[in-house]
Amino acid sequence: MPVYVNPNICNGCHGATQPPCIRMCPGDLIVKDPLVDKAYLKYPEDCWDCLPCVKSCPVEAIEFYLSYQMGFKNASLKPHIPATRDHIIWESIDSRGKKETFTIRTKVLDIEIDEKVEGSTPVDFSI
Amino acid sequence: MDLNNRNDEIIETDLLIIGGGTAGCLAAVEAKEKNPALSVTIMEKAHIDRSGCLAGGMNAINAYLNPGETAESFVKYVRFDSCGLIREDLVQSMAELFEYSVKKVEKWGLPILSDEKGNYLPRGRWNIKINGESLKPIIAKAAKQSGAKILNWVTATNLLRKGNRIHGAVGFSVRHGRMYVVKAKATLIATGGAAGIYKPNNMHDAQHKTWYSPFNNGAGYAIGIRAGAEMTSFEMRYVALRTKDAIAPTGTIALGVNAPQVNAKGEKFMQTKYAHLGGDGAPTPYRAYGPIMEIKEGRGPVYLDTRHINEKQASDLKAAFLDMYPSQVLYWTANDIDPSKEPVEVQTTEPYIVGGHCQGGYWIDVNRRTTLEGLYAAGDVAGGAPFKFVSGCWAEAVIAARDAVASMSQTPSEEIDSKTIDEEAKRIYQPLLNYRHKPAQGVLPYDMEVRLQKIMDEYAGGFSTYYEMNEESLLIARKQLAKIPGQFEYLIANDLHQLMKAHEIIDRVDVARVLVEHLLYRKETRWPSYQTRMDYPDRDDENWLKFVNSRMNPETGKIEMLTRPYEQLIAGDRYKPRG
Repeated sequence: MPVYVNPNICNGCHGATQPPCIRMCPGDLIVKDPLVDKAYLKYPEDCWDCLPCVKSCPVEAIEFYLSYQMGFKNASLKPHIPATRDHIIWESIDSRGKKETFTIRTKVLDIEIDEKVEGSTPVDFSI
Repeated sequence: MDLNNRNDEIIETDLLIIGGGTAGCLAAVEAKEKNPALSVTIMEKAHIDRSGCLAGGMNAINAYLNPGETAESFVKYVRFDSCGLIREDLVQSMAELFEYSVKKVEKWGLPILSDEKGNYLPRGRWNIKINGESLKPIIAKAAKQSGAKILNWVTATNLLRKGNRIHGAVGFSVRHGRMYVVKAKATLIATGGAAGIYKPNNMHDAQHKTWYSPFNNGAGYAIGIRAGAEMTSFEMRYVALRTKDAIAPTGTIALGVNAPQVNAKGEKFMQTKYAHLGGDGAPTPYRAYGPIMEIKEGRGPVYLDTRHINEKQASDLKAAFLDMYPSQVLYWTANDIDPSKEPVEVQTTEPYIVGGHCQGGYWIDVNRRTTLEGLYAAGDVAGGAPFKFVSGCWAEAVIAARDAVASMSQTPSEEIDSKTIDEEAKRIYQPLLNYRHKPAQGVLPYDMEVRLQKIMDEYAGGFSTYYEMNEESLLIARKQLAKIPGQFEYLIANDLHQLMKAHEIIDRVDVARVLVEHLLYRKETRWPSYQTRMDYPDRDDENWLKFVNSRMNPETGKIEMLTRPYEQLIAGDRYKPRG
């Protein structure tokens, strides 16, 4: 599974209807489970590993994996964005536990927690 | 859901831009700067903050005139790289705007690597390094601030056509399902190219680990094909050389640390067998064809030899991938690969149609006008001008926007009859109705996609057949593809996401049918691997130094083929990079 929303960390952005992970996925692959107010990757086979969802999550609830067909377990790669938002610290751990960190200069824009969907009243397309 | 009692969103705008990617956003900004009174609307399938090819970021601008280079020297290089056949007018006009576009985006906040004097750091003749992880949100912010109206999550399904003129487009919201009818005086298509036409390298939950954005399904081509626009050069497919499995860019390694290609025997085959074409600097199709032949003839796997680099360089290499392609770094750590100790295995990907690397797309004039009045094309969807990459897409957007603004006042607005809109509504929502009424007889979009990819892979030169094809195999592809449109009526969708997927496969099939006609028509091999015709294995300048174009007749649905002449504007040997 390419990305995984850890339900123990995801707080649903406190009831947001369009939290950053859902807005930032270019493939419309992440949805919210309304019963528990948490996001999850509904269509893992269509994930492109592009990671805007991982980087935009305000509580670092989204983890990134390689599909098992491509890499063995226990290696990990995690981005951390500091409050200054002018660099990303990537933490890479290989399958034997060896850690490497990279500081990459960038300009990470602020992202609002929620955003209203454009358009007026929703139409009922229930089937 | 009642098709006869819809509550469509009707929008009137001056300029409609379909696709809010890198080209679409630049076009919106340019149009608003040239005429702030103009209303500009962007129709975007996802959310413009992170959509399309650049969602994940970018670590280089690959088309830029470094010191000593000119628009003319760029045209010469691109002509050489595309095996002697390009639209020189288009390539030159975009090169003239590289600097304008790059400086503009830098002003918006894009970090570009430069030396202490402020000069950009070159990487090869045409490349500069950037820290472009946030390239897309930076560009989207500029588009939003320009005052353009943004329709996020509205996927375009067809153009509004009356005679030979385009009056806007129709789409539907993948969030709340309403149909959007956007009437426009001018329309610019900037949706990007087409992935997912061929069977991908990886399967299962990594099927979308592809070179190109899998969400760029070719909708931009398909809506133009169905409206009768002329298309060019679809047969110049793009086959990317990438790292094995992870499908990460090899230029970052090849150019970044000067790694040559080697085969399993350690032979630098590009430098020996392709020396007459430039060795490791041979035209891009040959840099894919070389390794394909090594593997086919039993000397694979093929690698980029990185064993000469030190630990610091290996670390820098990983850092470069983190700006754009983090999964390559995870791939190395998860497989215990240290690129300074062992070479990096590479492979070629399935073919794509993309006007930014190759030249499949709309046939346009130098102002980026298509053959349909009021319709422009820019970026990956525009044909004839390969080697665009990010900055060329920006340049084309600027050119199209300037022309659209300048010619706007003369454009009358037209009413579109309600029958046309009703018919499109029926076409759009049919898969949802099918799911409700006859799910057992239905076809899932995914199943139709796999069927298309199987036909294309096996009969139209996919990865499993070393990209090779002949007349007979292509005729089978044509015959099988011709049956698919008759099956669109069976597509089922149980939600709006699936409805979007249903229309993605419809678009892919229309693109594939045109592609196969192009592959059948060009009876030579001009771009080995991109277009390997086993029955016509050689380049034939006498008969085929021309563009293969097509037009689907909107009344009959028949694809008509035609050719357009090549015009050499810049003197010199077309097969030499500096000739």
